[in-house]
Amino acid sequence: MASILVIAEVQNGKVRESSYELVSFARRIAKAQGSEVRSLVAGKGASAAAEELAKKGGGEVYLAEHDLLAHYSVDAFGKAVRAAVAAASPGILLFSHTPIGWDLAPRIAAALDGAFVSDCFNVEESGKLVFLRRVFNGKLDARFVPSASPVVATFQPGATSPFEGALDGKVTPLQVAISPQDLRAKFIEVRTAQKQGVDLSKAEIIVSGGRGLGAPEKFPEVIQPLADALGGAMGASRPVVDAGWLPHAYQVGSSGQTVTPKLYIAAGISGAIQHLVGMKNSNFIVAINKDADAPIFEVANLGVVGDLFEIVPALTKAVNQAKGKA
Amino acid sequence: MKIMVCLKQVPHQDARLDVRPDGGWIQEDNIKFEINSYDTYALEEALRIKDAGGAEVVVVSIGPERVTQSLRTALGMGADRAVHVKDPEADASDPLGVAKILAAIAKAENPELILMGLMADDGNSAAVPPMLAELLGFASTTSVMKVTRSNGSLQAERELEGGALEVVELTGPSVLSVQTGINQVRYASLKGIMAAKRKPIDTKSVADLGLAGKVGAAAAKIKIEKIYPPPKGKGAEILTGSTDEIVNKLVGKIKELGLL
Ligand SMILES: Cc1cc2nc3c(=O)[nH]c(=O)nc-3n(C[C@H](O)[C@H](O)[C@H](O)COP(=O)(O)OP(=O)(O)OC[C@H]3O[C@@H](n4cnc5c(N)ncnc54)[C@H](O)[C@@H]3O)c2cc1C
Ligand SMILES: Nc1ncnc2c1ncn2[C@@H]1O[C@H](COP(=O)(O)O)[C@@H](O)[C@H]1O
Repeated sequence: MASILVIAEVQNGKVRESSYELVSFARRIAKAQGSEVRSLVAGKGASAAAEELAKKGGGEVYLAEHDLLAHYSVDAFGKAVRAAVAAASPGILLFSHTPIGWDLAPRIAAALDGAFVSDCFNVEESGKLVFLRRVFNGKLDARFVPSASPVVATFQPGATSPFEGALDGKVTPLQVAISPQDLRAKFIEVRTAQKQGVDLSKAEIIVSGGRGLGAPEKFPEVIQPLADALGGAMGASRPVVDAGWLPHAYQVGSSGQTVTPKLYIAAGISGAIQHLVGMKNSNFIVAINKDADAPIFEVANLGVVGDLFEIVPALTKAVNQAKGKA
Repeated sequence: MKIMVCLKQVPHQDARLDVRPDGGWIQEDNIKFEINSYDTYALEEALRIKDAGGAEVVVVSIGPERVTQSLRTALGMGADRAVHVKDPEADASDPLGVAKILAAIAKAENPELILMGLMADDGNSAAVPPMLAELLGFASTTSVMKVTRSNGSLQAERELEGGALEVVELTGPSVLSVQTGINQVRYASLKGIMAAKRKPIDTKSVADLGLAGKVGAAAAKIKIEKIYPPPKGKGAEILTGSTDEIVNKLVGKIKELGLL
């Protein structure tokens, strides 16, 4: 029977939530196709994680344990995935679109000469398979249809809810031969992010500026005064930090800080998914953007379609007036 | 050493994106194009290695005639040579097709290092670099924020979630995909632009690379059925009126939230 293979990720001894999201997608597709869900857990000391996954929808869980799987490396994990593919002959392989998924999945797709689609937010499984994803940094949606097998797909973390059911599977040990010479890209160490200067996670109000600000001096001139008037902090999108306009500590998003202030004001930020994951759980979101179709308006509570250089200074003035500081 | 840098030309970041009537892709006439933002950082990284110790930098791009302009820009910045795969049969390749074309070029060029962007700003696949590495049997890593070279080995710092970094050591010929912000990208100087006029751009067809029938739209293993503006959900309540009226409503809301 054709199978769907979920490539699970283990973090701190536990299966990541995004892997259970893959199980949700896999179960949906399996039901429509009459196929079977299987999973791979690769690591060292990962048997408890594999047992847990087997009880919670992962089906037959291949457990690849090896000293050289203690840390992720594309070569070692690639060997584990290939061993699982040999055992399961999957028609579909599912990865999360995470630093592991986007590093490994395309290599596997090329090795299998399969169809590849990345960073999907949904799949239509009845009838032909259609993968839904965003293109142009969130500005347009697209439907992708594979015409070859196997299909290798990565899914955006958070794209669906994690599988919740109790469904008994089993753990099958998987032998993988890996030698140190196989590791052409070798793990050395992980350096965790150090918070320096601003800790945005504690701010009640954040005023963030994006590439729409156009120049570094616009931050002290336009964004900081509004943040000051509101007694809040200043934040930024990634291109602002990339350009060296502000230090990394100001960056909000998947590779910056995750924030949940009472009020988040985004000015000149389009709303790419990597920015949204860092701020969409804010209590109240105001977006100011001159493009009425900017994706940021989908997560905002209040929106202003207009020029930030007109709106933000006027708002600063009005806030100061309201505080009697005009 | 020889470094190959793969550049994709994509619609300008501020270009208006209108979907083609058949829904297959965006309308490309009348918009400006530029080098994919991620790829400008990859090129800069290659030029820094060249500046530091000498390297030949070869830029490669697959795309129509308009791509010549981006290749000239790259040569103006300091790249030594360019290869342009200009062939309608290459267009609308899926990422694996693109990787197959780039692999054919890499086999002829034999670079020690291939620098690419983490992802293209149009299709957002983030797929071609690891695929290319697999086809060539090269070492690879992705989302690189720092590259250091010391006697034969290459250290890369790759970005993980939340700003954490992973240090990876690569042995042998390698493909690195570069994340934005790894460096500050230079502009082409006037002198560079003048010098670029004399630098060669080598044009190749799919058949030249022995890939006739193996890449392009017909050979793609995955196809775009349709692209479309994202369906509008509930969305934000859009404030209208004069700037004063809008600002007053905003202040009212901030008061209502108890923040003023
Ligand atoms: C692995 C990975 C991690 C990433 N991590 C992050 C992250 O942590 N944080 C992050 O932000 N991004 C991150 N990104 C980048 C992300 O994909 C987007 O490129 C980025 O968020 C875009 O920033 P922006 O909205 O400021 O710029 P753009 O998308 O260029 O948007 C600029 C906006 O400004 C508007 N504008 C221009 N002028 C004006 C004006 N005068 N008035 C009003 N509006 C105006 C425009 O209409 C446009 O919508 C990541 C990407 C990847 C691949
Ligand atoms: N048509 C192309 N020509 C040259 N390089 C490309 C092309 N398409 C993709 N690439 C390279 O592959 C990287 C990732 O692109 P993608 O996998 O399409 O998101 C880009 O940043 C480029 O370095």
